[in-house]
Amino acid sequence: MTGVSDVLRQLTIVFTEFEGRLEQTPLIRKLTRGRFDLADYHAFLIGLRQQVADGALWMSRAASNIGETHLELRSTLMRHAVTEHRDFRLLEADYAACGGDLAVIRGAEKNLGSEALSAWMFHEASRPNPFGLLGAMWIIEGLGSIKAAEWGRLVQRRLNLPDEALRFLLYHGENDVEHIKEFEAMLAMVLPDPIVAARIVKTARVTARLYALQIEEITGD
Amino acid sequence: MNELRDVYITGVGAHLPGPPVASAAIEDHIGRIGGRDSALGRRALRWNGVETRHYALDGQGRPTTSNAAMCAEAVRAALDHAALTPNDLSFLATATTQGDYLVPGHGSNVHGELGGGPLELASFQSVCGSALMAAKSAWLSVRAGEHDIAAAGASEFSSRWFRPAFYEGSALVDAKGRLRPEADYLRFTLSDGAGAVVMEPSPRPTGLSLRVRFIDLISLADRFDPCMWAGAAPETRADPLSTWAFSGPLAAHAQGAIALLQDFELLKRVIRAWVGVYLQKVEERRIEPARIDHLLCHYSARSLRTEIEGLLESTAGMIPRDRWFSNLSTVGNVGSASIWVMLEAFLRSGRLSPGQQVLCVVPESGRALVGFMLLEAVE
Repeated sequence: MTGVSDVLRQLTIVFTEFEGRLEQTPLIRKLTRGRFDLADYHAFLIGLRQQVADGALWMSRAASNIGETHLELRSTLMRHAVTEHRDFRLLEADYAACGGDLAVIRGAEKNLGSEALSAWMFHEASRPNPFGLLGAMWIIEGLGSIKAAEWGRLVQRRLNLPDEALRFLLYHGENDVEHIKEFEAMLAMVLPDPIVAARIVKTARVTARLYALQIEEITGD
Repeated sequence: MNELRDVYITGVGAHLPGPPVASAAIEDHIGRIGGRDSALGRRALRWNGVETRHYALDGQGRPTTSNAAMCAEAVRAALDHAALTPNDLSFLATATTQGDYLVPGHGSNVHGELGGGPLELASFQSVCGSALMAAKSAWLSVRAGEHDIAAAGASEFSSRWFRPAFYEGSALVDAKGRLRPEADYLRFTLSDGAGAVVMEPSPRPTGLSLRVRFIDLISLADRFDPCMWAGAAPETRADPLSTWAFSGPLAAHAQGAIALLQDFELLKRVIRAWVGVYLQKVEERRIEPARIDHLLCHYSARSLRTEIEGLLESTAGMIPRDRWFSNLSTVGNVGSASIWVMLEAFLRSGRLSPGQQVLCVVPESGRALVGFMLLEAVE
């Protein structure tokens, strides 16, 4: 039960449970029940911004802690970090495009969930060979490839915003079917290994829980 | 305390009213909103893959039978298949989405149509999944030794709810006379019919019986709002105090709170949640894909999106397509009755051999529920 397909199965279960938890957060309830307003969207972007900015940083730190036995994985993480490290600028531009003040989003504090999530990610990334973080990537990239576009479309429908104000959510929504294949290849670099398998799934669980906490803590009131 | 008994499906019956109706004739039966052809119909049919279906309304929209009578017909057919009669039955569990009456329960009316003497009754109302709720009730009754001959029947008369009167004069029809897609889609997806099974503590004297290994039903209503519903307008459906009865039937109709509706955006999330539940069953070894010889899934394989199929393959959860059996495209989507209508056709197909395992999967979008039933062929 520690091969790539077994771990992917467990990760998929974690992700669908995570989606169920997100569905019950006050912010997403507002979105799906049609009570989401511009203040909620502003709060949403502010809430996401800090964690998105951190993403490439913990990924780089994780890459720097991957040993010489796994150079290919190190390269992959570094490429990911490069691809994503400016994404938070997109969030800021969206915020400004729907009337937000850049100084506000840049100067905002992390909410309780973001603090916990960020601390957890950097903690994990600081361990030698932090392969468990593949589980965290599954959650965060799953959000990008599955949830972002869904949320983006709902926000657009509720608030009638132009595409320029939704590029982060909609751009992440460019769903790549290749995404799972690429992830499988990364898993194959560290599996089969029962200890690594368990750590990947555990890390996915913790990351999902803390991410949901971050969303729970976002309010536009 | 008695031991729990093994339980076998010894008879299966189906009842499909009238002749098969081709797609081009659908609106002769269910009618045309404002007298005009639906703009969405053809797209809905491409998506759901249904080619012919049956209606308990004739070509002028007049009823030819009732929901309860169809269920009684299917129970009779299942009893007949088991070489039994309604008089032999001591427990009847029924399932439907919307019975003929608001009150009393569908089960009472099915018993009324069936006859056969006093019996114990259970009446389940949900959507597709109600079939397995009734089956589980029948299974446990026989398993526990409460009854020796039990039947579980399921039936739907969806088409009467698709007649123009359910939409015209309501907020579901816009100024140009177009029906909201949330309502129109279902008109081209669901149709009428009934199915039933008979359960006993020993197999048939001849031929194949199906031992019920388990029936599991999992509700995810803790996280999702109603996804397919009737009784609330789309905008206020999450609020139980905004449901139809509080404003009375006339005002509720005007608000669009009476017709059957589906939220497509939510459906996509619910589908992923079903996949998660299924994979959890695989993870627990409750379901072992490699050991499933036949899959009867109420959900159309055609509408499973490719990324979900890819996901099932990547997670060692996919049951190869050549083991899927479905008659959805020819008999239509009969809601709760579908799984029994499918099982009946499957048994007639001659594909089943002794010792083989049959997995039945019944997802219900209503408020995100999914049921699994594992059967084993014995001779």
